Amino acid sequence: MSAFDDLPQPENAPPPGSCWRIERPEAGLLHLVLDPPHRPKIAVFDVPAMRDLDLALDEIEKEGEARGLVLTGREPLSFAGGADVDAIAGITDPEQAAVLVSRVHAIFNRLERMGRGHGGRLFTVAAVGGPVPGGACEITLCCDRTVLADHAKTRIGLPEVKLGIFPAWGGSSRLPRRVGLPAAMQAILTGRLYRPRAAKKIGLVDRLTQPEYLLRVAGDVAMGRMKCPRRSRGWRGLLIDKNPLAGAFVVNASRKQVMKQTRGHYPAPLTAIDIVSRAPRVSLARSLAAEVEAVKPLATSPVAKSLIGLFKLSEEAKKLGEVDGEKAPGIERGAVIGGGVMGGAIAGLMAEKGIAARLRDLDQAALDRAVIEQQAVVGKKKKKRRLKPHEADRALDLLETTTEPLGFGRCEIAIEAVAEVLEVKRKVFGELAGLLPPDAILATNTSSLSVDAIAETLPSPERVIGMHFFNPVRKMPLVEIVRGAKTSDAVVARTARLALDLGKTPVVTKDVAGFLVNRLLGPYLDEAVRLAEAGADLGKVDRALLEFGMPMGPYELLDEVGLDIAGHAASSLEEAYGERMTACTFFKPLLETGQLGKKTGRGIYVWEEGKGGRQRNAGRNPTGPRAVAHEFSTEEIVDRTVLAMLNEAARALEEEVVAGPRELDLATVFGMGFAPFRGGLLRYADRRGLPAIVERLRLLADKQGVGDRASGRPRFEPAPLLVELARDGRHFHG
Amino acid sequence: MPDPIVLAAGLRLPQARAGVRYAREDAGHLGATAARELLARTGLDGSELDEVIVGCVGPPHDQANVARVIALRAGVPRAVPAHTVGRNCASGMQAVTTAATHIEAGRGELFLCLGVEVMSAYPLMFNRKATDFFARLAKTKTLGARLGAFLKFRPAMLAPRIMLVEGLTDPTNGLIMGSTAEVLARDFGIGREEADAFALESHRRAKRAHESGRMAREIVPHVPLGARSGDAALDRDDGVRDDQSLEALAKLRPYFEKPDGIVTVGNACGITDGATAILVTRRSRADALGLTPLATIRSFAWAGCDPARMGLGPVYSSAKALADAGCTLADVGAVEINEAFAAQVLACRKAFASDEFAAKELGAASALGELGPDKLNVNGGAIAVGHPVGATGARLLLTTALELAAGDHELGLATLCIGGGQGGAVVLERSAA
Repeated sequence: MSAFDDLPQPENAPPPGSCWRIERPEAGLLHLVLDPPHRPKIAVFDVPAMRDLDLALDEIEKEGEARGLVLTGREPLSFAGGADVDAIAGITDPEQAAVLVSRVHAIFNRLERMGRGHGGRLFTVAAVGGPVPGGACEITLCCDRTVLADHAKTRIGLPEVKLGIFPAWGGSSRLPRRVGLPAAMQAILTGRLYRPRAAKKIGLVDRLTQPEYLLRVAGDVAMGRMKCPRRSRGWRGLLIDKNPLAGAFVVNASRKQVMKQTRGHYPAPLTAIDIVSRAPRVSLARSLAAEVEAVKPLATSPVAKSLIGLFKLSEEAKKLGEVDGEKAPGIERGAVIGGGVMGGAIAGLMAEKGIAARLRDLDQAALDRAVIEQQAVVGKKKKKRRLKPHEADRALDLLETTTEPLGFGRCEIAIEAVAEVLEVKRKVFGELAGLLPPDAILATNTSSLSVDAIAETLPSPERVIGMHFFNPVRKMPLVEIVRGAKTSDAVVARTARLALDLGKTPVVTKDVAGFLVNRLLGPYLDEAVRLAEAGADLGKVDRALLEFGMPMGPYELLDEVGLDIAGHAASSLEEAYGERMTACTFFKPLLETGQLGKKTGRGIYVWEEGKGGRQRNAGRNPTGPRAVAHEFSTEEIVDRTVLAMLNEAARALEEEVVAGPRELDLATVFGMGFAPFRGGLLRYADRRGLPAIVERLRLLADKQGVGDRASGRPRFEPAPLLVELARDGRHFHG
Repeated sequence: MPDPIVLAAGLRLPQARAGVRYAREDAGHLGATAARELLARTGLDGSELDEVIVGCVGPPHDQANVARVIALRAGVPRAVPAHTVGRNCASGMQAVTTAATHIEAGRGELFLCLGVEVMSAYPLMFNRKATDFFARLAKTKTLGARLGAFLKFRPAMLAPRIMLVEGLTDPTNGLIMGSTAEVLARDFGIGREEADAFALESHRRAKRAHESGRMAREIVPHVPLGARSGDAALDRDDGVRDDQSLEALAKLRPYFEKPDGIVTVGNACGITDGATAILVTRRSRADALGLTPLATIRSFAWAGCDPARMGLGPVYSSAKALADAGCTLADVGAVEINEAFAAQVLACRKAFASDEFAAKELGAASALGELGPDKLNVNGGAIAVGHPVGATGARLLLTTALELAAGDHELGLATLCIGGGQGGAVVLERSAA
């Protein structure tokens, strides 16, 4: 009878005792191997694994002869992916979360007490490698020593805060004891996954070795044949970790940093700060009890649910690069046509990721700028040790440039980033079709033209696709993969694979104007412009939406994008969707006087040279248009802009622009930075309640100054899907 | 010849005066850029290559077999081997003739050959005294011994050995290359005015070749490492002086033999960086790859001579290569002699035309022939475009091969002198269409 029998088991749970294996490689040494049959790819610490760990420890206690214990996974580079994320996502009852956590504590404590360092008779050694995140890392903290496989795939750390929770399986209590308060605080608050050398350096692990030697070395350490001393914190333990004053200092600095980054929207790091900072000064039992208490509100919080949901979505997005469960063939060599800011950055990113990129532009100067930019970006990363010298060399070598139609014969894809003119794009692809191999993918980075229209005149439209990167290419994590009417599945998968290889998250959209992200941004930004026209204080609007959780306010975003680009995008939306997308011309005078935003130093705001080459907002542009001031409430500001966007999202969903609400949410978070703690635009709507939103939209549609203007009523008239879901009491998310 | 060996394709990067535009370059990157571009333009599958052969005089200390570094960085599959060859100033030519020899011997058919040199990166070395000092310091075990070793430090230990100077000095006779040119000037009675006039003409011709677009046919623009925001790619050899004049040249003081020598920095080649890539294969293979060859290798020869008169190497080697090819100098339309020094090229020209020299040195009945100005270095030479030592041999072959079509010649001769007393020569023939 195990302590876990009364907890919900997954459907495919194996019979008790089958998740862990005990091996006896020599007299006195035990191997405790995690090898759950129901998780053939990656083991996780789910309920059956915990149940069986308890049973395995029972058995080990009976082994009178044993002196050493090695805790390991089924392969040197495969231990466990941490706790079962699906199970955490499914927890709705805070008490249930607390029960689960305290039972894990009991088992981990049992393992810890078996160790010689805690009065037990076994020398316990964790021998792990590959990904060792979260719970997998926490169990190593219960062993006397940790030996880590020194391999490029190895990452170890406590990334829980990224999922809206904190290391509650003893990690928050044990890590500060092991590595000291400052290092533990940093590890837990950043959620950083450490490479082997870094992990050794902070003391998270005690020894590194090659994966092939992992079990041998761990066995030697466990049997006392090999010395593996643990670095003690020494005087630092007394002066820093246990010193309330130093603790207070660390807490203060961390809290300030966290508040600055999260604006208080994320409770998990604050909880972690409390527990971690006290851990060295209180008993382990008290610290663990604090973990149990703190997990109750967090595990069931909407923030955690949102972040876990997004994590799972981005994991699922990786499947887009697969065909029948197999990864689509990767691209080794690609062409980028158009050496502007976008094209240059796309080619540079490809080169950095090990894909040869041949960049073509008719203007040598544009190519020169692209190469020099690449040198600057790569040089900076080398200096910061983000790239090793040979990786930096490769990133420079792989970027080829040419003004001539030569050398494209071996390119497997061409990404076009030339002027947004249909005829130009058709011409470029027409020429490329003759230069590239017959099966090469023709991808357009258009943001305002139709993929089908571009494909129309080409001989093989099935290999034409949209690959919409966002500016700045290196920073924005989303790529819209725009599927034309005739685009083949294989081309979609291979293009998605390229996006993934470039470190981006792909989302497949239909070929409609603005695709998804720009289509949603259109009404959002336009409402913001209309608020300005109605006399809203610009700073207040920007602040309100920043507070809401957008990465920057709408006017700052307009200046960032450039008023010319934004205007162009708005008019193509207006052309496609008619009345509800009618663009407000309030800022047109700026456009006409060439004050386009950050790139010209002046736009809606004035941009001054700030620290580190960055531009600083120096207030409203005095030469810009002014309206009679009018006070808007924060609530109205948020509702007008965000609900305009939501209403358009409901329409897009109805038209099946993306596969479903989950993909739409992913796109809003990764494509426009929509508040991740809200889980995405539709998740936000679901939480707020669709009937309330429909009512609010109707109110806005009827409101004077909103509903009575040309684009107001159709924009706020609730979309049919929204009305239907609200009426049936349903949600966007099932 | 039923299936001759051809230069199937080739290109080069602009050559730049050392320490200026290419100051941050390194041989691996420069060579890989040229090789990568040639592979792209030929559309070649790198795995078809039999070997990559690179000529380089001073490979960087961290890239001893720089050929392998270049091959891998250029994206040549790792199964294709690579080796570096050295014959001082002819290393780039050696890469091509090594490939030709392999092909003749049936050991491979498709070779990527390069000449590359980044003289900007030639290091300064600690001298012997300093090296010993550090060695002693490293051996000390106690603090006292360490202090004692420290006290042995002398300022003289800071005087570096300059690789560039030592590399250009012949260890068998102690002569730096410039001095061997002075020997030739005295032997052949060549004066300062004559040498300066030749140098001026080199600049004029190079300038014309750049302006007419002739040079653009062999050069691919290059943005060097360490370029700054706003810089433009280099698209021409930057040693060519638009404003060179006899007056300016006359003002320069002799560099190697003061005060009566005639070799100045103005009538000698400059210290330069550059890279040239050439694809060497059989004609049939070039056809199969869909490449139109630049030229056919008709013959080549290497010859030795007096190290103190190494500048005459082209005469000895050309005599052999022409004899091998079964033709005379008169049959050759375009001749490239590397302009290490104006005095040295002028001496070669006199030796080519001298019956006495032919009889005494070449064992021939009569002189090789006249080298008229319309035949010799019509696009200028190293005095203007520079002499990246390991790259020049390949550069001469590329320039000569392209000149066959540009000047409508049947035969071309590319030849150069080699420090240590050698000459190398290759006779190229225009490929049949």
